[in-house]
Amino acid sequence: MPQAVNYQELARRYGLEPVPESVLRLTQIVSRQDADLEEVARLISKDAALTKRLLRAANPTAKTAADYDIETVDEALMRSGLTCALMLAMGTPLAQALVKTFHTMLGLKLESVDRFGDFVLEGQHLLGTISFFGRAAGLVYLRLSPASAAEVAARILGLEPKQIIDSNEINDAVGELLNIVTGNFKSNLCDAGLDCRLDPPRVTQTSDFSTPKLPGGSLERMIFRAGQVVLFVDVRVNPWNE
Amino acid sequence: MSTKILTVDDSRTIRMIIQKAFRLHDCTLCQAGNGEEGLIVAGREKPDLIILDITMPVMDGMTMLTKLKENADLKDIPVIMLTAESGRDNVLKISQIGVQDYLVKPFKEDQLVEKVSRIISLQLKAPAASAA
Repeated sequence: MPQAVNYQELARRYGLEPVPESVLRLTQIVSRQDADLEEVARLISKDAALTKRLLRAANPTAKTAADYDIETVDEALMRSGLTCALMLAMGTPLAQALVKTFHTMLGLKLESVDRFGDFVLEGQHLLGTISFFGRAAGLVYLRLSPASAAEVAARILGLEPKQIIDSNEINDAVGELLNIVTGNFKSNLCDAGLDCRLDPPRVTQTSDFSTPKLPGGSLERMIFRAGQVVLFVDVRVNPWNE
Repeated sequence: MSTKILTVDDSRTIRMIIQKAFRLHDCTLCQAGNGEEGLIVAGREKPDLIILDITMPVMDGMTMLTKLKENADLKDIPVIMLTAESGRDNVLKISQIGVQDYLVKPFKEDQLVEKVSRIISLQLKAPAASAA
């Protein structure tokens, strides 16, 4: 008969990291059936990074903060509702998983880019797609230029980019990185009460840049950079039904 | 006789990283791309330790671990889970089936080597062999 085990004890023994407190709280509030916008607004207002991301998502066409039409957390939540808060709750663990994965496996310190206009991805590129469904549903799109993808594959395998000549190696490396990011992302969401399942990531070559947005859904764009490697990430969260 | 480690992971990238991690050690690495293959290789090679992923096609790591523990010949082989799935439910379930350790991806090569060396004895290759 196996002994009763305590998760905290196992987490300590295996060296597992807990979900960050602010993310846990926002996700828990959003995942409750009786979540109200005032409570969500109070929590977001206390966190400068969440506030910044909410306002950026609420003003998708603005080039800088000076161009924002929607200037307060309350106003942004009134316009976009809980789906937008859900998207913020999901974007945080996703961004953290990306940064941690690239730092640990590739030695790259990804930094979030504020000025989107400085980075443009054109033409053929590598697209990794993750779809999630359950209490929360949506899609994550991760795009890299061929040069960025080759550098990423080379770094994870401990090679020089010119040593990578097989596109399958690049796709497998990017796919595995996505798998790792996805697994961490899913674990954080499930632990915070947003049970969801994920389809295995798909990696394809494409020149299609569309990220369709559903009515009532939310879309957040993030760009990360480390040296010559640039990642374009779109998180689409479907309308919140509960 | 050198130590034998079986890696069960569907990602060629991860299998290559693990091979690189143990390049300086006197050990033989065998590989499998899913749990079903993993059970066959484990039965044939009788490894000293298994490094096992969870999410894989054909047969996942949780099923392979359960079958391993039901097999009298293989049940005592120590297992380290190497997975991106660190959710509470998975950790509890896997711990109850029985694993020696759990390493969450993303990981550093030396973290893995350290966890393995806590369970089995790892020897460095002789200088001439590691330079080859």
